[in-house]
Amino acid sequence: MKVVVANNMAPFLWGGAEELAVNLVDRIQRRGHEAELLRIPFRWNPVEDLPAQMVAMRSLELENTDRLIALKFPAYYLRHEHKTVWLLHQFRQAYDLYDAGMSELPGSVFGDEIRETIARADAQSFDDSRNIFTNSPTTSDRLWHYNEFASEVLRPPLNDPEHFTGGRSEGYIFAGGRVNGAKRQNLLVEALAHASNKVKLVIAGPPESPADRELLEQTIERLGMQGRVTLDLRFLSRAEVGDYVNHAMACAYIPFDEDSLGYVAMEAAEAGKAIITTTDSGGVRGMVEVGNNGWIVDPTPEALGEAMSAASQSGALAKKMGKSSRELWRGMNVTWDYTLDRLLS
Amino acid sequence: MKVAIVSSFVPFVGGGARNIVDWLAAELEKRGHEVVKVLLPFSDEPRFLFQQIAAFRTIDLTDSADIAICIRPPAYFIKHPRKVVWFIHHLRTYYDLWESEFRLTRDTAITRARRDSLRRADTAALGEATRIFVNSVVVGERLKKYNDIESTVLYPPLPTDYRGSSNDAGDTITYISRLDLTKRQHLLIDALALTTSDVRLVLAGKAADASYSTFLREHAENLGVEHRVTIDDRWVSDDEKADLIASSFAVAYLPVDEDSYGYPTLEAARVQRPVLTAVDSGGVLELVSDGLNGRVVEPTPQALAAAMDDLFFDRDNSARMGVALSQSVSDLDISWDTVIEGLLS
Repeated sequence: MKVVVANNMAPFLWGGAEELAVNLVDRIQRRGHEAELLRIPFRWNPVEDLPAQMVAMRSLELENTDRLIALKFPAYYLRHEHKTVWLLHQFRQAYDLYDAGMSELPGSVFGDEIRETIARADAQSFDDSRNIFTNSPTTSDRLWHYNEFASEVLRPPLNDPEHFTGGRSEGYIFAGGRVNGAKRQNLLVEALAHASNKVKLVIAGPPESPADRELLEQTIERLGMQGRVTLDLRFLSRAEVGDYVNHAMACAYIPFDEDSLGYVAMEAAEAGKAIITTTDSGGVRGMVEVGNNGWIVDPTPEALGEAMSAASQSGALAKKMGKSSRELWRGMNVTWDYTLDRLLS
Repeated sequence: MKVAIVSSFVPFVGGGARNIVDWLAAELEKRGHEVVKVLLPFSDEPRFLFQQIAAFRTIDLTDSADIAICIRPPAYFIKHPRKVVWFIHHLRTYYDLWESEFRLTRDTAITRARRDSLRRADTAALGEATRIFVNSVVVGERLKKYNDIESTVLYPPLPTDYRGSSNDAGDTITYISRLDLTKRQHLLIDALALTTSDVRLVLAGKAADASYSTFLREHAENLGVEHRVTIDDRWVSDDEKADLIASSFAVAYLPVDEDSYGYPTLEAARVQRPVLTAVDSGGVLELVSDGLNGRVVEPTPQALAAAMDDLFFDRDNSARMGVALSQSVSDLDISWDTVIEGLLS
């Protein structure tokens, strides 16, 4: 079967969606199909150009292709008799971001017309799709709320589970992922001051700005945590990330209101590690059953310190909870096998 | 520099136009440039011609790239203040092939209007370019004739990491190219039946239409030469190509009025084998001259058979012409340094 995966492109920018699209193509090929990635340049600014770009998607002709899997607005406007949408997100500025007052679409008659045009075109495109999947319950809820289309949640699996095989604990709590304000690694350092002396913390990942690095360094110095925190602030290879996770006692991931389960939490579960997160971490909470495989606590230094102490207290407990983490995660069946079964069904 | 390479493609169909994009991207990156490939699907279907061109027109790379290099039509319809075109062919059915048997449509008032509109649109879009290069003298002449546009020739090279081969020349003439009526592999089978030597033929390459490779096999059997010809309908890797070509004493390449000298000619030069071609093969004649670095004969079985026998019996001369072909490539300055200097000048 010949499968085209269609995504948008902001020239010279690369992120999670691009990585996912490349992986999807690779996985489809490994299943014995032919697959190609189609990346279509899209810019939402100036707003006046939106309608033309939407029409352009309808005007392209995809021949010699058995299946189309489209991921984003306006790539899902492409016409194909067997189109599957795996919606990562719609044009949020026309929907929830507009309602939240965070849209750059003008609040004028013209802006209203554009939003209505998008809603109508979305409806038409979803209507001529064979299947609609989304990447999270949040995306599905929005799609239902704004467009009244039902969809099935198909969470993006880990791209490289082979790096997260688990291993013997070396006693530290690991906090991975991009380092920035929203991921709140700094709060973990503050929490350390409220945790028992034996708790050690490793923070590894690329800082988004020099200020993110400085803040961590200052907090560590202010609280005298030099001996208990290891900072490895750089872009790590996937194997290096795997090493840190595999030898952790437990993993902490406390982003603010994340849409998805969070790759960092998924990696922890894949490696069989207990997970510490917060009540306000959004989708990440879905990775934790309190008392079974981790902790969901208030986003305060005190509460997090207590959770970190509990996680570091006994190797046997950490191991048992880690095992539950992996079982819970396996039970969610977020695998490429299942994902492809559904996408190609 | 941030370079966007823009081209069109048919999903799951490889070939020269895709190679030139990939190879140019790799060579630009080697020289420290940031490259993004913008590849949009394009169908030959005449009814979709203008809507697809309109879709290309909506792509505006002004803010994202420093320069846009446009390759396969209708890529040059995109918008960029520094639009450089490396023109490799027209949509030929509306140009030089209009008067030939290869025209895709009937000649009606509607198809003529479409042809004339395309020619006007092409002329306008190409007129926006800051520089226009062509891949051969032949294509440059067509551009002058039909669009009254001047251009500079930039010969497309093979990738620099292309491996050679030290295999000894055997008793075969090899033709590696898409198996296709316009490449005229059948003519060589006709010729083979008329040869007096023990020359053997290898015809390798993926057929766009499987019925042509079936026809070739049947044709060889009908003429009783099936034991002297190998017909291999599949994609051949670059490494394998080098070995196959080096194992033969000459390379055949007989396209009908080709746009350029064609990669098979350069591949022959890489391992110093002479090229057998025809007087009506177009751009191939820019590189191959009869008796100097190959044979250029009438596209008839008789003339081809005589040339095949000559090449077979006088191996010293064949070897000498092979060396001369590789010298011709240097003389024409076919190199990526020249190409990139030209495109970015």
